[in-house]
Amino acid sequence: MDALRQAVRKALADEALQAALDANAERRRAARERAHATLPEPWEVMRGRAAEVRADILAHWDEVLTRFVARARANGFIVHQAADAAEARRIILDIVAAQGPAPRLVAKSKSMVTEEIALNAALEAAGHRVVETDLGEFIVQLRHERPAHIITPAVHLRRQEVAQTFHDLLGMPYTEDVAAMTATARRHLREVFLQADVGISGVNFGIADTGGICIVTNEGNGRMVTTLPRVHIAVMGAERLVRTPEDLALMLELLPRSATGQDLTVYTTLIHGPRRAGEDGPEERHLVIVDNGRQRLAQTPLADALRCIRCGACLNACPVFREIGGHAYVGRHGEPTPYPGPIGIVISPGLFGSEKFGNLPYLCTLCGACAEACPVEVPLPELILRARAPQPATRHSPPATRHSLFATRHSLFATRHAPPFRSFLALYARLATRPHLFRRAQRLLAAATPLLARLLPIPFLQGVGVSEETGIANEESGITNEELGIANEESGIANEEPPFAIRHSQFATRNSPFATRLTALDGEILPAPDMTTAGEAIVRFLQREEVTEVLAWAPEHLPAEVTAALQRAGIAFCHGEPAACRVGLTGAALGIAATGSIVVPSGAGRPQAASLLPEIHIAVLRRGDIVPDLTTALRRLDLAAAGMTAIITGPSRTADIEMTLTLGVHGPRRVVVVLVG
Amino acid sequence: MKVLLFGTCLAGTFRESIIQGAVRALQRAGAEVLIPRGLTCCGQPAFNAGDWEDARRMARHTIGVLEAAGDVPVVLLAGSCTAMIRHHYADLFADDPAWLPRARALAARTYEFTEFLVDVLGVTDLGVRFPYRITYHPSCHLLRALGVDRQPRALIAALHGAAFVELPHADECCGFGGVFSAEFPEIAHAMLERKVANIAATQADYCLTADPSCLLHIQGGLRRAGVPTRMLHIAEVLGETWQKG
Ligand code: SF4
Repeated sequence: MDALRQAVRKALADEALQAALDANAERRRAARERAHATLPEPWEVMRGRAAEVRADILAHWDEVLTRFVARARANGFIVHQAADAAEARRIILDIVAAQGPAPRLVAKSKSMVTEEIALNAALEAAGHRVVETDLGEFIVQLRHERPAHIITPAVHLRRQEVAQTFHDLLGMPYTEDVAAMTATARRHLREVFLQADVGISGVNFGIADTGGICIVTNEGNGRMVTTLPRVHIAVMGAERLVRTPEDLALMLELLPRSATGQDLTVYTTLIHGPRRAGEDGPEERHLVIVDNGRQRLAQTPLADALRCIRCGACLNACPVFREIGGHAYVGRHGEPTPYPGPIGIVISPGLFGSEKFGNLPYLCTLCGACAEACPVEVPLPELILRARAPQPATRHSPPATRHSLFATRHSLFATRHAPPFRSFLALYARLATRPHLFRRAQRLLAAATPLLARLLPIPFLQGVGVSEETGIANEESGITNEELGIANEESGIANEEPPFAIRHSQFATRNSPFATRLTALDGEILPAPDMTTAGEAIVRFLQREEVTEVLAWAPEHLPAEVTAALQRAGIAFCHGEPAACRVGLTGAALGIAATGSIVVPSGAGRPQAASLLPEIHIAVLRRGDIVPDLTTALRRLDLAAAGMTAIITGPSRTADIEMTLTLGVHGPRRVVVVLVG
Repeated sequence: MKVLLFGTCLAGTFRESIIQGAVRALQRAGAEVLIPRGLTCCGQPAFNAGDWEDARRMARHTIGVLEAAGDVPVVLLAGSCTAMIRHHYADLFADDPAWLPRARALAARTYEFTEFLVDVLGVTDLGVRFPYRITYHPSCHLLRALGVDRQPRALIAALHGAAFVELPHADECCGFGGVFSAEFPEIAHAMLERKVANIAATQADYCLTADPSCLLHIQGGLRRAGVPTRMLHIAEVLGETWQKG
C-alpha cells in the first residue's frame, strides 16, 4: 500500500484526531461567518479587492520586490535573498554562528517558511538549541511531531495528551487544567525569550512603500522574539508583499477573520528596522527573503496560488482535511509536506515538484468549499485540476499513434496509484468518441453493476438501482434515447445569459465604540474626564493591585499630570529588572474604534517592553486620538519613523489547547486602557 | 422552444429514469425535447483525473455532436457536467484558436436542468403531486461552481402536498468527487457517513438532488446504513418516472 493511503487510514482510525478535527471545523466555520458580518464592507467586495491587490503584486513582482528590498535596507534591515532552501538555511546558520560558538539559544515564533526550509533540523545539527514559542508549536516540538495545521499546529491533540507531555517533559504536576498548562508554558518560555541569542520569526506581509514588515500573533511570542534577543531574523516568502499601508490594512481586515474569526489579531506588529537611538529592540535585524520555487511557480498555470496569504481558511473549510488532518498529506514516498489542505495540495507539487507530491492534488472532491472561504479568491478547485494535469494548458495536437482503443500510456500510470481505475478511465475516454461502442459499453457496465458493487468498496455502485423505475414506457413519451433523429434547422433562439444566483454574505453594522469592542475582548476601560483624574485613577488602580513600581515610558513621554500623580503616591519607575515588574504603563498614539485596538509605537524613552513583559499593561489614550478603523490608523501613522509599532487588541490570548481560550500566554494577561476626555 | 437534452453518461448508464423524467418535465413545461444521437460523455472524468488530452478529445466529440444538432439550448442533468462545459471547455482549449470559439459558443447555450426550467422557461410549478416528507441535497458543483440553488429549491417548493425539511449542513460535500471516491474510498466513506447521518436526521421519505453522481453515491450510503430515505433526481420527480421502494 502506498504511503499516502497508509497515512490516510491511520488518520481515519485515530479517534482523538477525529474529535479534534470535527471541533476545529465547526468552530472555525462559525467564527469565520461571525467575523465576516463585522467587515466594514461586504465580504465579496472586500475579498475581490484583496484578490486584485495580490494579483497586482504578482504581475509586477520584480519591481515591487526591488523597491521593498531597497526601502528595507534604507531602514537598516540587513536583507538577504535566498534562491532555495539550502541557501536560506546557510544564510541563517551563518548569522547564528556569528553570535558566538554553539550552542546558541534560538527562540522562534511560528513561521511556515522555516518549516518549508527545514530550518530547525539544520540549526540543531549545527549544535544550537531551538525553541518554538507559539504554544501550539511548543507542544508539537516537545512531542517531536510536526504542526498539523498552518494556523493551529496542535489541533490534533487533546488536553490529556498535552497534560501528559507537560508532566513528562516539563516536570509539571499532571493537570488537565488548560490555564495551568498555559501558565507553565509561559514561565518556561519567558526564560527562553530573555536568554535567547537570536529570535527568528516569519513575516505575514512586507510593505514595499515603507520598507517594513508586518507580523501578526495572538500570544505575544511574535513580539517577544522580535523585541528581546539582540539579533532578530525575519524569514519571508518572496511573494508575501503589499504595496502600501492601505493595502496592508485591507489584508489585515481579512487575514485574522479568515484565520481565526477575529476582527484583528491581538498583536499586529509593524517593524521598520533595528532599534533606533534610545529604543529597545534588537541591534541587528536580518530579513531573509526566500524564493524556493516561487518564481518558477509564477511561470506555471498554478501561479494564482501565489496570491495566498496563508490564512488557513481553506483548510478549515475542506471536508477532506476535516477527515484526515494535516499529517496525512504525504508525498509518494511518505515525505511530509509543510502545507496540507487545499492550498497545500496545489503548492506542494507546485513548489517542491510533482515527482514528490503529484499524488496530493487527488485528495479533493472538487466541492469548492475552499474557494468560497478564501479571502483572496485563490481559485483552488481550478488550480487543483491543473495540478493534476501533467502538462496543463499546453497546446495539443493528438499524435497519430493514439487511435488504438486500448492504447495505454505508461508514462502516466507509472507514477500514479490505483492503476486499474486509471486504465478504466483511459478506456472510457477512448470509447467516448465512438458512440455505438460507448452505448454498448454502458449497457455492459449497467449489467455488471450488481457484481461490481459487491467487489468494490465504492458506495456509488451500491446506490444503483434504488428507486429507479425500469421499463418506463418510452412509447409514452415518444422517445428512445438512442434512436431519435433530430432536425437540424436553425432555430433562431436567442442565447440569453442565464441569470445566476448570487449568494450574499450578511451586511452588518459596525463602528461599535472603542470601549465596547475592547471590553468584548476582555480588555478593561478606566474612563477619566481629564488627565488629572486619569492620574488619580491609575494610582488607585495600582494601589488596589498593591503595586509600587511600574515599567513605564520615560516620564517626559507620559502626560505630566500622570507622572505627578505617580510621584505623589510614591510609585517608582522601574529601571533595573524589567522582567520583574508586574505592571507596564505607556501612552498610546491612536485608538481604533472598529477593533478596540491601541497603537503603541516605539521610540526613545518609549520601550516596547513596557507593553509586553508585565502581567498588566496600562495605556493612556486620549479620546480624541481614536480613529474609526485600521485603514485610517495606518494612513495617519508615519510607520517608518518608529522601529516598531505595536497594534494591540486586548490581552494576549491563545486557543492552542483544545481551542480553549486562555488569556496572558506570553504578553499581558490584562490590558487596561485609561480613556481620557 | 426546442432543446437538446444531454442526459449525461452516468444517468444513461445507471439510471435512465432521470433522463426520461427530464424529457417529460421539459415537455410539460412546453419545450420540444431532442436527444442528439452520438452524445457519450462530456469528458469530465478524464479532466478531473488530470488527463487533459483525453478530455479534449471527448470535448471535441461533444462539441461536434451538439453543433450538428442545431443552435438551440443544451440542457444537462448534472451540475458537474454543466460546469465542465460552461467553465472547463474554455480551459481545455485556452491555447487553441480553432476550438476555443466553438467551446465558448457551446458554453453560452448550455444550461443545467433546474436552471433552464426556472430561468429560461419561467416554470416552477408543473402540477406534480408529491405527498411525502422531503429534503434536498445541493450538489457542490451546482451550488458553488454554477451558483444554482434558488432554482431547484423553487421547483421543490412548488411540489404539491410535499413537506419540506431543510437538510442540516446541506452544503457539505457528500464525498463522491468522481475519481476521488475511487481512489480514496475510505475518505469518501467517512464523508458519506456524515451526509447519511444528516439525511437520516431529517426523517425524510425522499432526498432530492439534481446530480446523478451524488445521487447514486448517497443512495449507496443510505442503503448500507439501512436508512429508509430514498434519493431521487428532481427530474424523476417532475417527470414522475420514479418508483417507490
Ligand atoms: S488559499 Fe486562500 S484560504 Fe487557503 S490559506 Fe491561502 S489565502 Fe487562506
